[in-house]
Parts: sequence; structure tokens; C-alpha cells
Amino acid sequence: MLFFSFFKTLVDHEVTIELKNDLSIRGTLKSVDQFLNIKLDEIQVVDEVKYPHLSAVKNVFIRGSVVRYVHLPANAVDTALLEDATRKEAAAQANKSK
Amino acid sequence: MSFFGFDTTLSRDRAAHAPHPRQAPGFSQQRDAFAGLSGNSNEKANDDDGYDFEDTYDGLGEQLDEGDDEFNDETFGGGSSAAPGKDFDFFGSTAKVANAINEEQLLYARGPKKPTQAAPPSYNQDRQPKASSYAAATKPKPQPVPKHQVPTEIPELKPEMSLWATTSPEATPAKNLSAHAAVHYLHIENQLQDPPPPQPNFSQPAPTTRKYKSLEEVEAEILAKKQAKLAAAQQPPPSQPQPQLPPPNQLNQQDGWPGRPVQGFPQHPQLQMQPPLQQLELPYPPRGMPPPQQNQRPPQNDRTPEHLQRGPIPQPGPGGQLPFPQMPANPQFQGNNMPFPMGIIPPQGPQGPQPPFVGIPPMQPQIMQMTEEERIKFLEEESKRLKRNHKIAQLSRYNGLMTPWDKNFITRIQLQQLVSVNEDSFNEDFYYQVYMAIRARNNPQQPLNQFAQTYLGQQGARGGRARRQDNHLLRMQQQVQRAVAAAKARPKASQIVLEGSLGKISFGNVKTPKPLLSIKKQDTSGVTESGQKPTHAFAGIDRRSILAAAEDIYRCLLDLDSHERKHPGPSLTGQQPDSNTIQWFEARDALIAKLWRSMRIMEPIKEEPNALHPFIAILSVKKAKEAIPRVFRYIDLQQRITILTMITISLDQVDVIKDGRYPAETLSLSNETKKKIEGFSQYVLPPLLSYVGDAQLDVITGLLGILLDRVNVLLLSQTQIGLAFLTMFTSRAEIIKQAGQADDQGVLKWTQTYDRLFEILEDHLLDIFPPHGAQVDDMYVWQFLASMAVGANMSQQQKMVSAVKDRVNENVQASKTLPQEMGQHKLANTNLFLRALGLDIDLLLS
Repeated sequence: MLFFSFFKTLVDHEVTIELKNDLSIRGTLKSVDQFLNIKLDEIQVVDEVKYPHLSAVKNVFIRGSVVRYVHLPANAVDTALLEDATRKEAAAQANKSK
Repeated sequence: MSFFGFDTTLSRDRAAHAPHPRQAPGFSQQRDAFAGLSGNSNEKANDDDGYDFEDTYDGLGEQLDEGDDEFNDETFGGGSSAAPGKDFDFFGSTAKVANAINEEQLLYARGPKKPTQAAPPSYNQDRQPKASSYAAATKPKPQPVPKHQVPTEIPELKPEMSLWATTSPEATPAKNLSAHAAVHYLHIENQLQDPPPPQPNFSQPAPTTRKYKSLEEVEAEILAKKQAKLAAAQQPPPSQPQPQLPPPNQLNQQDGWPGRPVQGFPQHPQLQMQPPLQQLELPYPPRGMPPPQQNQRPPQNDRTPEHLQRGPIPQPGPGGQLPFPQMPANPQFQGNNMPFPMGIIPPQGPQGPQPPFVGIPPMQPQIMQMTEEERIKFLEEESKRLKRNHKIAQLSRYNGLMTPWDKNFITRIQLQQLVSVNEDSFNEDFYYQVYMAIRARNNPQQPLNQFAQTYLGQQGARGGRARRQDNHLLRMQQQVQRAVAAAKARPKASQIVLEGSLGKISFGNVKTPKPLLSIKKQDTSGVTESGQKPTHAFAGIDRRSILAAAEDIYRCLLDLDSHERKHPGPSLTGQQPDSNTIQWFEARDALIAKLWRSMRIMEPIKEEPNALHPFIAILSVKKAKEAIPRVFRYIDLQQRITILTMITISLDQVDVIKDGRYPAETLSLSNETKKKIEGFSQYVLPPLLSYVGDAQLDVITGLLGILLDRVNVLLLSQTQIGLAFLTMFTSRAEIIKQAGQADDQGVLKWTQTYDRLFEILEDHLLDIFPPHGAQVDDMYVWQFLASMAVGANMSQQQKMVSAVKDRVNENVQASKTLPQEMGQHKLANTNLFLRALGLDIDLLLS
């Protein structure tokens, strides 16, 4: 749930989603769910010349399993907090596996 | 009945009644519920004559044979010698003849002395079938004697619909006449003679001795009225009613029933059928009678609306529970509605007027009879009802669009949403929750309420909603929480072994993916032991164990944080903390102790020269440095001074000092060291500084003394962090001294310690500067010099000035060549020191 929790804080920030088919889409993150499916608004394909058929698309829903990377806005990430959250997650996992 | 062959009843009745006057009070009054008026009047006539024993005695007693008693035993059973016995069943024997006794009692009570021979045969014939029809059950053997016929009807005085209904209209006149002939009642005659005497509308208790009418009389009256009414029906009703009050004695005889105020129905004089109706209805106490004035209205005007009125009113009670005053006022109109008025009215008396429901639309008459105000109200309600129906109809248009499955699906989604906000949110959704909380706290524009809601969960958007809604949500969340907890408590197998199969089937879900490899952990106990007993596990200072130790600290910190969130709430001062609060504080203390242990600060300092204290070793990693401010939030003063002391006495071992000196022939430190120094001054120094800012002079003196004793101060002075420590101590001491917060002895001790420090440093003041040409900010050096200069005496100040004079001039010269901003900065730094001496850089510049 860490990533879900993390991406929830990025709602309304601009992110770039890199898909496994090398398509990169930049847009405003509108919502994310527990499968890390992503809804983007006001999208723009990074390499528009290569994918002209997407130039008319304004918003997309991306299935979480096809995402390779999410480029984050650095100033929207609280690294210290993220560390703590990671510790929590690890502790929870350790408790579960016990 | 006559056991001995003679008419016992007759003789006994005579014997008993002859001497007793019927009029005498207290004898038969009680039982004489419907004493026949006719009998009464007959009796009166007889009483006047008086009874003679000889006249009435038939001489049967003389025929008795006083002898011949020998067969009495045979007749009555039992020998004469046998005692009667004590177990005689009086009740049982009596019960056998109870019927007969009752009957005889009644006969006795109302039986006239002489048979009513005056009754014409037509009367008897008329009565006979009726008597057998409804009194036969209780009266097994009505004797054919005429005088017994009248009383037989009395015990059962229940109006029977069938009985009355079968009464043919043709028969009634004859009966009426005959009944009338039997009784000598003045008022009846009057009524017959002059048809429209007005009925009294008011009640008056009757003072007469005879108060009850017999049923026959009642009937007789009814019939008389009916006849009169039939006669009246032929005539047109008079347009103007002329109510006349009859003479009082007439009233009494006609209507006066004792103890029962007769409320006259409003009547119209031309309708003579009224009195019997009244009397039949009267057993029910009249309620809410309309005022008598009401009936002064002409009947023609009333008739039509009243017929209509009666339509929608369901089952009004007898005599006046009706909402409208004119309703009960005219029973005669109801009578007109009936096909057989006389036959039907009597049973209706007790039941109240029956609404006919004859083809009248229910709404219309209601509106018609309503007042203006009521009508408006009624219409309003009606429109409201219609509106609601319309709304329901509109909503129900979409009924059944969603299947149960759809609804379940939606419910599941909603519940999921709720679950994500539940108690686990700080474990599973930690980042989001805390991030939002921090952001809300850093955003002062956000209203506090919004902040609280954001902090509590995702409901930040629904700020305006009512509190009730939140309560529902809260309750729902709690329920879901319980359900989830129960589901989690159930042991979940990640694989199953089907019976008879050779392998296992393993499965997973989103949270616990299907394990492709199942590897047992070899030794988990060793890892946990290192956490619990750090003394032994921390023998070697390798990076791995240092990092693990740092993680230990963080684990304790996170536990403390989450415990802090469960704070039971601020307890009001002066109140005893409740058990929850006490428990919470106990748990908190335990957690803090754990945190303290995890920092390993109390481990003994080893005497070997190169032995590194565990705490200092841990402090070498950045994340441990970052933890220090958070640790300082929880530990108390004693623990803070322990940390400060520990760091102070091990300063030369701290990596930022050890590596902080500029190596020979180099102008800059390594990047790693730079970062460490930065981290140390960013995370570790501020909490220490804040503590020192509150420390007393003796603490400062002691710390500086230890520093001078144990640490190579010269080495220290050549590093940024070392100088920062020295600056910290000296400046704090100066502040205390100047504020006059310390006694003379403390000041004296401090001066001695300061002198020692100055002695060590006075010949190496130039060495504390970073090497020439190093592109670093040397402000910390000037700060140190300034703090030293403030506390120095005159000679010490002179020494300092002469030592750093070149450096000051150098800075002044350099500031002129450098860009203005950097130059100003250099000058400002230098000026810190000059100001401390009481000088100013402007003197040098000018």
C-alpha cells in the first residue's frame, strides 16, 4: 500500500508516465487506485511526432500493470517521510511474515 | 308445577300479594325494572277496592287430607327414621330449580293480583308470536294464563333486528291501537287527539313514583307515534314550526325517567315519532347534544344538506360525537331515508345513526360543509399529498434498473473506500496521511477544520456537511473496521492440500502475492536478539551493524510517534488523570526507555585509545544524525545533558571532527566530509544548541573543562564543528555573565576555564582559519573569535587583535576586489569580531 499511499499525495501534480511500450505520457495525475491504475488529465505525449494519433487525446486511464516508470516532481516528495513510511511498510511486512 | 294437583302459583301469588300494596316503597321497586304501566294502573284500581281473604281464597287447603302421611316416605324418599343428614346439597338442589325460581320471582314481582282480563284478545294474539320468538329460550313453559304472558317478555330485553324487521307495517296499527287501549295513559291520548304537540327539548327529572315504562308501553308509544307520523306524512309539513311546551305533568309522564336526564333531540313539532326514538336511545348517556335553538330552523332548509352531510361520516357514535353540530339534531330525517322507518329505527337507537352511503362522492360534501378556513387547510393538505405522490411516482420510474448484483458491487466499492480510511490508515496509508497532515500544517490559509478533516482522513472535501453525517460515517467505519479485523484474525492459509492430491495449491492476492519460493528463515531469533541486547552484538563496528543500530532507533521513534497519536487527549489541570491516560504515559515511558537503550549511549566508555563509543559510531551515519532532533523531542533534560556530554568528551572521535581538518596542501575537504559536516550542523547542533541555551554556567564550565581535559583542543579548533562547540560554550557563558545570572564563584570558575582555553589557543589563532584560497565561508571562525573577544580581558584582547590583524586587513582588502555582495559578506563577518572588541570595520575602511 506504500506506493498507493505515495501516489495519492501526487494527485493534481504533473507527472510523466513511461509505459512498457516506451510511450511516455505527461499529464496531471487525477486519481490512482490500489492497483496503481492511473487517470491522467490534459495529457501530452512526450514524443508527439512519433505518436501523432495520440495528439487529440485529452485524458487517459492507464492500467497499472503497463506502467514502467513514473517520473515524479521532486519538490512534491517528502523523502524523510517516505523513509519513515518505508520503515513502517517493512515492519508491517516483517510482522505479517512472522 | 302443581305437585299436588292444584295451582300453587296462583294461590301463592295471591296469598303473598293480597295484603301488600303495590305502591309501597321498598318492596318491589328494585326488581320492577319494567313494571307494566298497564298492570300498574290496573292494580291501582284493584287496590282501591282492597283484597278480601275470603274473596281470594279458593278453599283448596280444606281439601287436603291431613292423614294419609304413610306414603310420604315413598314420595319424598328415605325412611322417616333416617336423619336428614348434614351433607345436604342446598346449592345443587336449588340450582336444579333455579330457572323456575327466577321465573316465579319475576312473576311474583310484577304479577298483578288479578289476571288482566281487560286485555283484548287481539293484543294477546299479537303478542304471542313475538314472545315465543325471543323469550322462548328462557321461558320454557309459558302458561296459557293471560296474566303470565305479559311478564314473560321481560327478562330478555334485547332488541333483535330480525324481530323488529319482521314486524309488518300493517300489523303495527292494530297493535298500536290495542296496546293503547290496554294502557290508560293520558299523554298518549293527548297526542293522538291533537297530533302536533311539540316535544320538549329539555330534560326534566320526573317526580312520579312510577318511573319505568314496560316494553309493551314503549312499543305502544312507538306505534302510536308511527301512526301519527304516517298521518303527518300525508300532510305537508308546516313551514313554521311552533314549538309549544306541554304542561309539566305531561312532560313528566311522558319523558321523565328517574336519574336520567332526558336530553331532548331537537325536534320539529310536526313529527310525532320523536319520543320513542329518544327513549330508546337514551340508555346511552347523551353526549354533546346540540343546543335546543338549533332545531328552530325550518326543516325544509335543513333537509337536503343534512342528507348529504351524513354521507361521508363513518359511524358516528350515538347521540353526538359528530363533528358538526347539526348532524345529530335530526334523526327524523334519517328515519325518512329508511324504507321501513318504524322497523329500523329502534335498533339504530343504541347503535347510533348509520351512514347510508348512497352514491355521494366522498370529497364533495366534506368541502361543502367546511368553513372557509378548513377548506383552505384541506386543499393545502390535499395538494401536498398529490405532490408527494407525484414525486414518488417519478422516483419509482427508475425502480429495478439496478440488479442486486449491481447494488452489491457499489456497496463493495463504498465499503472499500471506508476501509481505506480506517484505523490501519497510519500503518498502511502512512505516507499519505502524514504528508497531508504536514502540508495542512504548513499551509496556514487552510482552515483548521479542513486540516482536522484532512488529518483524520479523506473527507476533507465535504467540509460543509452536517455533523450527523460524520457520525454515521464514523459508526460505519467502526463497523467495517470490526469486520475487517475479524477477517484478518481468521487464519489465512496461503496454500491448501487437497485430499488425495500429490501437490499443494498455493494462491495469493494483491497484498500477499503467491509465493513462488517458500524458503524458511534459518535463524530469526539471532536478529531480534541483536536488537534487544546490543551490548554483545555491537562488538565490531562494521557499517552493517551501525546501520542496523540506526534502524533500531528509528523503529523506536516510529513506535513512539504512533503511540503519540493515540494520546487520550489533554487532561485538564487539577483533574486526576484517568486510567487510560496513566496507561498511556506508562507505555510512553517504556517506549522512551527502549529508545534510550537503542541509542546505546549508556554503554561504558572504553579506555583503549582507538575504541569508538557505540553512540558516536552510530552518529557517524547520516540517518542517525537526522534522528537526533526527533530523539530530543522525547527525552528529558537529564538524558539531553548525557548526550551533550557524550558528544563533548568524544568530540575528537566524531567523524566530522576527525575528518574535518583541512589536510595539508589541500584547499578543500572531501565531498563526503562536507556533507557530514553539513548534516551534523543541520541536525545535531541545533538541538544541542537549544539545550545549551538554557544551561547554567556551572554546566558550561564543567563541559568546557572536560573538553579541555580529554580532547585535543588544538585539533578541535581547526575544524568547523569543533569551533562551533567552543563558540557555543563561550557565548553562552558570556550571556549568563552579562545577565548576572551566576554567582561570583561560578564566574570565577568560568574565568579560570576560559583562561585555560585561551592559553591553548593564543598561539594558534591563525590556524583556526581555513587555508588560504579555500572557497568556504569563514563566518564560523569570526563568530568564534567574536565570542572569545567578548569574554577576554584587555591583554587577551590585545593578543587576539595582534594575532588576527593581518587576516582582518586581508579581508578588508579582498572585499574591495570581490564583487560587492561577497565583499559585503566578508566585511560583515570580520565586523562580528571587531564589534566584539568595541571597534567597527568602518574605522578600518575610512
